[in-house]
Amino acid sequence: MARKTYDNPKAEMTPMIDVVFQLMIFFVVTIKQEDIFSKLNANRPAPNAGSAQSEENDTQIKIDIGPEGVVFNTRGVSFKELDSHMKQLSKASTQSMVLVRCTLNSPHGFLVQVLDICNKYKMYNVSIFSM
Amino acid sequence: MKKPNNEDASLDMTPMIDVVFQLIIFFVVTLKMSDDKDTTIKLADGKHGIVLTQEELPPSQLTIDVARSGRVSLSNITLTDKALEQKIKERKNRYGSEFPCMIRADKNTPHKHVARVMNICAACGVWKISFVAIQEHKSGK
Repeated sequence: MARKTYDNPKAEMTPMIDVVFQLMIFFVVTIKQEDIFSKLNANRPAPNAGSAQSEENDTQIKIDIGPEGVVFNTRGVSFKELDSHMKQLSKASTQSMVLVRCTLNSPHGFLVQVLDICNKYKMYNVSIFSM
Repeated sequence: MKKPNNEDASLDMTPMIDVVFQLIIFFVVTLKMSDDKDTTIKLADGKHGIVLTQEELPPSQLTIDVARSGRVSLSNITLTDKALEQKIKERKNRYGSEFPCMIRADKNTPHKHVARVMNICAACGVWKISFVAIQEHKSGK
């Protein structure tokens, strides 16, 4: 029979399948999970205040970042080594001031990694200098 | 006797309307996700930082994007150093110097570009700066 009558109460499936397919495609296309971001805090002293930091202080931890990597205690270290150094230092005190000095051509990723290590050992007193 | 089909030649509109509606919904939802940040920026990992949730960010926050090329932008609008200084000063006048100032810089950005932005912040009296990093990768990029 071509025409629908109440004798034939069969539900029409085609539109429902259409809609479900569309919804499926919609979710497959649109669902992309966002990365979880974190923030790493640091201090940036005013450019002319640099001279105030020049006095030698034992509680200051100095980390230099160059284009090739990190220099700590006048020695090039890997991030793993820096991690263990900072672990040791944080056991003494987490209040020490960390001075991070970056050369202008060092990649930003190194700085973030160093800050991440400082955060890992709860050393939040970090200042960034550029040279 | 079966009727010839040609007589009932009216087109069934329902599936077409379904599809069109779906398309409309699709575009409405996706257009809202238009980029309000520089998508070329590949952030470095920072697993131990403070987790950032978009919902918790106060309206006073300022996120400065620094691309690998040195392009500085806010909400994907390129800014000159002067314009950036202006923006930071506006924020500072309205919220004080303690507003969350965040730098989203590519992991391969040379430090000089980041230093430039930090110097502008420091010159405006904003010394507390945060760097945005990735705590956990979810997007598979």
